[in-house]
Amino acid sequence: MASAMDQVMDAIDIETYLVCDSAQHGRALAQALGRELMLGEVDVMYEEFDGYGVRVRLRKYVYRPGNDYGWLGAGDEAAAR
Amino acid sequence: MKRILCVPLDPVHDVGIKLVRNALMQRGHSTVLLSPDLPMESVVKRAASEPYDFVLVSRTLGYGVAELLGRFVDLLDASGVRDRAKVVLGGKAITRELAAELGFDAGFGEHAAIEEVVAFVEGREYAADKGAFVRRKRDMTAPYGYAFHDASIRGLLDEIADKTLHWAERRSSNGVERARLRAEWLDGAPGSAEREGLEARYERTCDPAVVAAMRGGAFPNGVRRISEREMRRLAGFLESRSPVLARSVRHEQQKPLVFKFLGSGCPMLDIVHGRICERWGADGFLLINPSWEARYEGLMQGLLTHDNDGTISSLDNLRLVRESLDPETLLTVRAHRGLNTPETVLLAARAGADLTKIDIVYGSLGAGTDPERLTVDGLEAMRIAARHSMPFDIPGNDELSGVPAWKTLAGLLINVMLGVRLGARPILKPLFCYGPHIVINGQMKHNFVDYNAAKITALRRIVDCPIWPGEPIAFMTQTEERVQSANATSYHAALAMSLGVDAITLASTDEAYSRGPISVAARIDALRAVADAYRFVGDASLAPTPQAAAFCDELVARIAATLLEVSRAESLPAAISAGLLGNQDDGAYPGTFGKGSVH
Repeated sequence: MASAMDQVMDAIDIETYLVCDSAQHGRALAQALGRELMLGEVDVMYEEFDGYGVRVRLRKYVYRPGNDYGWLGAGDEAAAR
Repeated sequence: MKRILCVPLDPVHDVGIKLVRNALMQRGHSTVLLSPDLPMESVVKRAASEPYDFVLVSRTLGYGVAELLGRFVDLLDASGVRDRAKVVLGGKAITRELAAELGFDAGFGEHAAIEEVVAFVEGREYAADKGAFVRRKRDMTAPYGYAFHDASIRGLLDEIADKTLHWAERRSSNGVERARLRAEWLDGAPGSAEREGLEARYERTCDPAVVAAMRGGAFPNGVRRISEREMRRLAGFLESRSPVLARSVRHEQQKPLVFKFLGSGCPMLDIVHGRICERWGADGFLLINPSWEARYEGLMQGLLTHDNDGTISSLDNLRLVRESLDPETLLTVRAHRGLNTPETVLLAARAGADLTKIDIVYGSLGAGTDPERLTVDGLEAMRIAARHSMPFDIPGNDELSGVPAWKTLAGLLINVMLGVRLGARPILKPLFCYGPHIVINGQMKHNFVDYNAAKITALRRIVDCPIWPGEPIAFMTQTEERVQSANATSYHAALAMSLGVDAITLASTDEAYSRGPISVAARIDALRAVADAYRFVGDASLAPTPQAAAFCDELVARIAATLLEVSRAESLPAAISAGLLGNQDDGAYPGTFGKGSVH
């Protein structure tokens, strides 16, 4: 079975709320969350600190345009058909 | 005829099973509907009292519900009901697998079609797409006659068109020449000496970077050929998948058509995104090319992918995208700027695209091309569009540079008149968003409805022409926050629908995020949000306040004043260069690509 990560068409977005002391703290936590989830460096698409924490939207690209997309399959089956 | 007991085991939710029951009754089956939330023992007693063929149970899944349902099946078993009746479970969060695990004969979730349950009861195979949305391609220009209602504005536009066509009469460019060579090449026999001669002549009009790419495959950074293996993989992917329960974004409305952008850089990704968006209701796509492509003289050839924004406008790429999308999907190819406008329109037409995009004013003022060059090329592009019966849209995105709406609308109308004179079928594409001039001058201080509505009504007061607000709608009001972005898009879409426009272009919920490509999930977000808005508004509408009429009067007057100034200029390029349709104070600068290249 193909790995789930290979089947991500392009990007993974994570939306959550991180309790923190400042927007800067929130950004640092967001980056740390990406690493803790084994996603490596993630991009903080959106953040808004409200005094208690940050509402964040994070993005990690699994495939960018022109990459060798895992979900596209091997293609040999199509040729055989 | 089947005998069916309908059992809402849920304390509250029994709408789903009532709808199923209605459908079964209409098909002539005998049904009994129990009241909701009866004790299980009472239900089993009722089920055993008659020789039912089916017991349909509805229940939303929640904490402890699986155990309860399992016990219910055990009771039916013990009472002998299962010996003659099939027991079916339906409801929110129910899956076929869960139902089987609990001992039911079948399970239907919240997204199952009622017809699917009926088919199961009747022992028929369910045709998933039977009765589902059928895609139908539509020419949005067909209902329009392009009559100008305002005589004084018509007179000014006639004068401007006369001058512009006269000015361009004895002028040409390498862009025009290449389009003619390409047309001859396409009509020539493959491998013929005539074609080789045409290729040599074509190359002489191109930038060295384009020649290097065509001769030796030395492509610009990030560009490469798509391999045969990738093409096989794409074919396999597309062959093995098809849309399930395809839908329309519209509810009962006929308009507007809904377009999305494509142009990730990779045609394969564009195609897959496009196919998915078709399923979610997109009627068409605008294929966006890389900004650098517009600055080169000449277009690259072959199946090419690019690892940055914009999909290369080679004939092979355009054909691949066109042929891979649903035949009923509309495709438009961007050609409104740069040094390859006529050839791009030609390739779009030959690849089977339905529409193209030409705007002499915006292409010069907001998109970097020299006004003289784009006037010569734009007119030729309009002729090619007319020859191929391909309507073109005119994007008023110069307003995004800070140009006031009335100057942008005046520019759109000049393009309309030129297009009509050349036998083409133009489409007005006014900006439908919170443009910079509006932000500064406060026309949308109280709401986003009135000024957007005023633009549409002003254009309608002037000319009978299709209107496709863009581009995308709600631009400048969307943020990188997903829900906010989807909401902003859907509100603007609801207004556009209320105004009866012909089409709209939707942003994805990551359009405001500039550091990476659009994701397919973000495309779906926007389509879903607009579908909800269209379901919500239905045959009602959003109404502007009386202020919209005042804005409309002001716009029409200022459009007329702008056109009067343009009509006094020596030519359209001279008017653009003089800032009559947007100047440096507005934030618009005449472009320089191709300066001095008109001969």
